[in-house]
Amino acid sequence: MSWDYLFVQAANGAVVGVIYALIAVGVTLIFSILKIVNFAHGDLYMLGGYCAYYVIEYLGVPPLGAMVVSMAALFVGAIVLERLMLTPLYSDATERKDEYGLIVTFGLAYFLRNSAVIAFGPFPLKPPSFIPGVQRWGNLIVTNDRLVAAGIGILLIAALLYFMKRTIWGQALDAVSQSRDSAAIVGINARRFNSFAFGIGAALAAAAGALVAPIFSLAPDMGVLPNIHAYVIVILGGMGSVSGSIIAGILLGESENLFTAFFPDPTRAFAYTNAFGVLVLMVFLIFRPQGLFGRRHLRME
Amino acid sequence: MRNTGRWRVAATLVVLIGALVLVSSQFVGAQKADPIKVGWVGPLSPPGGYAEGTLMKQAAQLAADEINAKGGVLGRQIQVVFADTRGKPEEGTAAAERLISQEKVVAITGEFHSSVFLAEMEVAHKAGVPIIAVDVWALSITAKGYPEVFRVAPNQALIATKYGDWIAAAGFKNVAVLFEKTDGGQSARDVLLPVLDKHGVKYEVVGADPNSTEFTAQIERFKTKQPPFDFFMTAYSEAGAYPMISQSHTLGFAPSARTGFGNSGGPAVDPTFWKNVGEAGKYVVTEIVGLPKNAWNDKTKAFVAAYTKKFSHTPSPQAIENYDAMLVLVDAIARAKSTDGKALIAALEKTDMVAGRGRYTFSTSKQPDWAYHQFMNAPVALVQYDKVNQAAEDAPIIWPRDIADVKYTYLKPGQ
Repeated sequence: MSWDYLFVQAANGAVVGVIYALIAVGVTLIFSILKIVNFAHGDLYMLGGYCAYYVIEYLGVPPLGAMVVSMAALFVGAIVLERLMLTPLYSDATERKDEYGLIVTFGLAYFLRNSAVIAFGPFPLKPPSFIPGVQRWGNLIVTNDRLVAAGIGILLIAALLYFMKRTIWGQALDAVSQSRDSAAIVGINARRFNSFAFGIGAALAAAAGALVAPIFSLAPDMGVLPNIHAYVIVILGGMGSVSGSIIAGILLGESENLFTAFFPDPTRAFAYTNAFGVLVLMVFLIFRPQGLFGRRHLRME
Repeated sequence: MRNTGRWRVAATLVVLIGALVLVSSQFVGAQKADPIKVGWVGPLSPPGGYAEGTLMKQAAQLAADEINAKGGVLGRQIQVVFADTRGKPEEGTAAAERLISQEKVVAITGEFHSSVFLAEMEVAHKAGVPIIAVDVWALSITAKGYPEVFRVAPNQALIATKYGDWIAAAGFKNVAVLFEKTDGGQSARDVLLPVLDKHGVKYEVVGADPNSTEFTAQIERFKTKQPPFDFFMTAYSEAGAYPMISQSHTLGFAPSARTGFGNSGGPAVDPTFWKNVGEAGKYVVTEIVGLPKNAWNDKTKAFVAAYTKKFSHTPSPQAIENYDAMLVLVDAIARAKSTDGKALIAALEKTDMVAGRGRYTFSTSKQPDWAYHQFMNAPVALVQYDKVNQAAEDAPIIWPRDIADVKYTYLKPGQ
């Protein structure tokens, strides 16, 4: 195998990795505040993709504008869902909060997925490209849609990091994620930030859905595999760490691509790609149980 | 505050369940007294092939409506009871048991997933209720020799063998085979590979998860093969077939002047194929399991017209298979003058009728074993798109040669 082949596969892996990271970063954000893994995230990602599709089709909005509309719609929709379904998480009367979060988000995932078949129809749909065409560098061929998805993905993640570190709202969010009680003492309304975090997480999922729709097409069950990837990335990156998710996303994209590219038995390489991603996670966790940048406080106080 | 949260969640759940019940109830509707109930099984929701399941369901209902409009059968109306099996064998078992024991259906049609049908037919076999396989291709379905099981679809021996013979006839020497890791995909591989061996065609086989949508790394790997692959054969029936075709085309692998592309399993004839793949779909080879357009009979034409009018898209081959399955079943009920299982099986064995896919008869021979109760003359033709946005029935037929409507066996891109 030549260096050129390695470069092509590594470059493709990096692009896929950034897309993975964008999907996972919303799960991370929600986990860091609400201390639950949102297993409906892949389905919010699906809804975001469909929302952008219909905004393009029926309102004639260009794809980038449709992505923004979809983010706004999912932001609002997710806050409604959070208010309706997740409030028992904040009650002292709820003893098994982890289990409650797990069951509610799983239930929501199934509900959204099956409702999507009725609402959007069973046939895969594809919105127009952000920018049609491909870019070539030697043997490396990447579609403009992938470059746009990776580019906007990096921008959105950078904006999120800036927001978390440099703005007063972001710092308040970070404070809630570190200690709900201490945040309350300095006058931060933690409940409001629960909704806010869930909304932002869903908006990021919507952006990811809108960005990948021209690459992978839209289908009601398109969120199933991203759900698994996002979960792997969140654990690998350290539960609740945004920067960890970015690195873990790229690590997963790279390891899956390079496994498919170089595993000696070509018959089995592709079929075992997802299993290999989980294997990387298992080996990693043996040596670093808290993930890349994991913090210790993992439960809702 | 504590209780408010709980009540809110409880109220939300009640509203959601209520909404689901309302949506479901519209499918039940008002029924006339004492109809003959026919069960339908198939995937209508994830993770099954719900796109194809929906097409089949629509066609089954259309057939029932038409039969009822003509007065039904034995003086009674037909009522189809639909059961969503979600592509899961355990759901198939539960659905078949519910249809037979609770709904008291006289027979069952449908199904898109071989693995699920294999579970359903065990229930039907124990209960002695006839079950007609509509779009399931695994050989083991009819090879088990159950008297209750009939199949209107072709099977892998009739489909994958045609692909193998055509690949050799078109002059391909080195084939990349990608199959989905399901009963259907593995059955396609198991039939195709010996045919390629027989013709001395070399191949490399790759299994794929049916949920996959990202194939770039695998396609790049295919591209490094020396000598290069000249054909990329995919047995992949899931939604991921669309990104696969797009990625393969974008990366310059197939369809290209050097490498042809074939997809078996159905997605290349579904209504949104072109919307998803665009230019990449031109030159794709796929199968149609209905009659070629030049051989359409009056029933085919009437079905296509009625279906297109009702659902605003042309029917896929799965749709006409399910439509015909209903006609075949009702014909058997009429001839048996009974809905008793044994009488129906005996009548189905004597089927000799023309429907939308030609003249139906079921073999009673067990040589080879999969021939038992198989519609042996089930039409299968390989077509190759030569235009973007071309309807499957308008695509040139390239195989088998006795029904081909073009001189070439394979149209190389760029020719």
